[in-house]
Amino acid sequence: MKVELINRPGNTAAKITLQPGEHCTAESGAMIAMSGHMNITTSTHKKNSGGILKAAKRLLSGESFFLNHFDSVGKEGEVWLGSNLAGDMLALDLDNENLIVQSGSFLACEDSIDMDMGWQGFKSLLSGESMFWLNLKGRGKVVLSSFGAIYPIEVNGDYIVDTGHIVAFNETLNFTITKAGSSWLQSLLGGEGLVCKFSGRGTVWCQSHNPNSFGHALTPSLRVRKA
Amino acid sequence: MQDNHFNVILTGDLRDGIDLSAAISSLAAMFKTSEEKIQQTIAKAPVSVKSNVEAATAEKFKTAIEQCGFVCVIKAVSETVAATAPVSAPLPVPVNQDVLASASEIVESPASFKGLSYKIEGRPDYSFLTVQIPANQTLKVEASAMATMDTHLVMKTKLKGGFGRFLTGESLFLNEFTAERAAGEIGLAPGTPGDLFHQYLDGQTIFLQNSAFVAATMDVTLETKWQGMLKGFFSGESFFLIRCSGKGDLWFNSYGAIIEIDVEDDYVVDTSNIVAFTDGLEYNITRVGGYKSLFFSGEGFVCRFTGKGKVWIQTRSAQAFTSWAHFFRPV
Amino acid sequence: MKCEIKGSQAFSYLEIELAPGETIITESDAMSSMDAGLDLTAKFNGGFFKGLLRKYIGGESLFINHFTNNTQRACRMTVVQGTPGELRSRTLDNDVFYVQPGAFLARTPGVTMGLEWAGLVSFIAREGLFRLKFSGTGEVFYGAYGALLEREIDGEYIVDSSHLVAYEPGITLKLQLAGGIFSSFFGGEGLVTRVQGKGKIIIQSRSITGLAGWLNPKFW
Repeated sequence: MKVELINRPGNTAAKITLQPGEHCTAESGAMIAMSGHMNITTSTHKKNSGGILKAAKRLLSGESFFLNHFDSVGKEGEVWLGSNLAGDMLALDLDNENLIVQSGSFLACEDSIDMDMGWQGFKSLLSGESMFWLNLKGRGKVVLSSFGAIYPIEVNGDYIVDTGHIVAFNETLNFTITKAGSSWLQSLLGGEGLVCKFSGRGTVWCQSHNPNSFGHALTPSLRVRKA
Repeated sequence: MQDNHFNVILTGDLRDGIDLSAAISSLAAMFKTSEEKIQQTIAKAPVSVKSNVEAATAEKFKTAIEQCGFVCVIKAVSETVAATAPVSAPLPVPVNQDVLASASEIVESPASFKGLSYKIEGRPDYSFLTVQIPANQTLKVEASAMATMDTHLVMKTKLKGGFGRFLTGESLFLNEFTAERAAGEIGLAPGTPGDLFHQYLDGQTIFLQNSAFVAATMDVTLETKWQGMLKGFFSGESFFLIRCSGKGDLWFNSYGAIIEIDVEDDYVVDTSNIVAFTDGLEYNITRVGGYKSLFFSGEGFVCRFTGKGKVWIQTRSAQAFTSWAHFFRPV
Repeated sequence: MKCEIKGSQAFSYLEIELAPGETIITESDAMSSMDAGLDLTAKFNGGFFKGLLRKYIGGESLFINHFTNNTQRACRMTVVQGTPGELRSRTLDNDVFYVQPGAFLARTPGVTMGLEWAGLVSFIAREGLFRLKFSGTGEVFYGAYGALLEREIDGEYIVDSSHLVAYEPGITLKLQLAGGIFSSFFGGEGLVTRVQGKGKIIIQSRSITGLAGWLNPKFW
């Protein structure tokens, strides 16, 4: 499986090239275009693993219930994948490590990656993210998407990320919900409110923009919702 | 499909026997920017001055830049994805990213070119089109796309395409901007965040998805074409396409970036990601995979193109954005 | 202080490295990530009454954040605007620069921000009653939805309402109809701003109004 990211970071598309016999699992609805001979199958789980329970858990995390599996029949084939919102993508090679991914950021992965739901505790509720997070582990390629550009931060000590800006982080990191400044008052007055504080050693990938801020900026111009 | 998009990379080296300042000033003249900006760009070399263009365009730029005196290489987009990412090295205050923004993403009409001279800035996510209208000529423009213009341009609103256009979901009206007596420029910004694409029609026909039209010269004929009940219904977009034919310039836009795909035998495109396609391609609405995929894959029906021609697809779909934005509507 | 605008035009974000003792002033809720060693102080946006004025009339927030590095090492932070789009910086050297309300992101301490009456013209053109006036010495960071384009004006030029982001002091604004009464109404252009004078203007290549115009018919 070969991954190319085109047009970063504005409206990134991932071009995935598969050799015969290779499989790629993608979020449902992500396919933009593909070669005519690509085969697509839909299931609630990854090939040969999990089942309806995992799918239900995935649903809770804000991902979709169904996953699509692509494979190329006979000759090399390609699939273009896109995400729902404008934004960047990140392709990572996992080497038997654990990656914790914000719900909704998963786009695609190789067959060899195992997917499960993780529970980060009640603090997740306050983080502006979903309660459940996706745990990816195994050896292989993973493609994630975001709203805005993705930038990595190597944490060694403490680092603060505003809620709504986390894409993924290494399992070696721990996060707590805290305040941005030295005092709660200042943090609230400054409009920062609650933030996530990462500690330990590892990488956290952030998205430059917060989709909710953009949504709220749009609100006054949008047509009123009926009922 | 081959990787048919390329980046033009300025290596920062001068060609033999060329004076640096002379080369900078001729490059500045070509990009219509200041010498200072060119200097900053050169300082960051190797830097991509032109990204995601076809081989022919890349070649034109390479020739033009080499005439100015700089060494230039062309790389396939796929090779340079990694290379272009860290292009902005840390700078002290003051910062300016305009250098890259203005020099790297501007598409300009090539010098030897039959149509109107134009410029596309802000590519590929917020493309902005500036067209120079020669004296006493007129440009047809999608309603409300005008963002800037010279004061002597005259705008007339025309009812276009009659009932068909009304059904396509497009505005019933087209604006015609005429440069009276003297040449003038107009800047166009479609409402959709995305790219703009130019095509010079010389007898061939292009079909546009119903909201993709931005502007055209007067000799381009625009007609709405009924897709047929079945295709229209399942395409999820509209029952109509816009058929563009004749001779002249045509500009169309997308939501997200545009990817050009050369169809050799067959290619599948999600119905909501089609921007335009050339005449000569047959298309059918089909389902992907088995019946389970039809209902649960999130893809539903797709468009299968067969034959030989070009399809332009967009990297995002309006439907997905609309359903996201729905939750932010005032109650 | 080291500042760098990253993320291209689509999703510009500002990365700042503060040396010990340095401070940067940002718009409320603009911080997206930062070193845990930085101190945040929220202050009234130019005093209590002025702050209120700015919030309710100028489209800015009541509080403004001061991020200070009180540690002994360099600290990094990232600042971003609420909408996607491009960010730019302007270096002031005892001169003046006008920015539309809502477009301000951050400034260095040597720059003063003032609120100025922009005239009824500006209000009717949907650009707001007031404009932000930046003066002093230092850097101003501003941004808007879409890509930012620079146009050199010498004479007159027409800009559609809600596309103007910032301009130099030599520029004045006037209002007019885009075409005749019929055209202006049905052509979707309506009122446009006539920009006069000599100097640079910064326009945004997309507008939230335009985006909403594209989205609204699609809602069920």
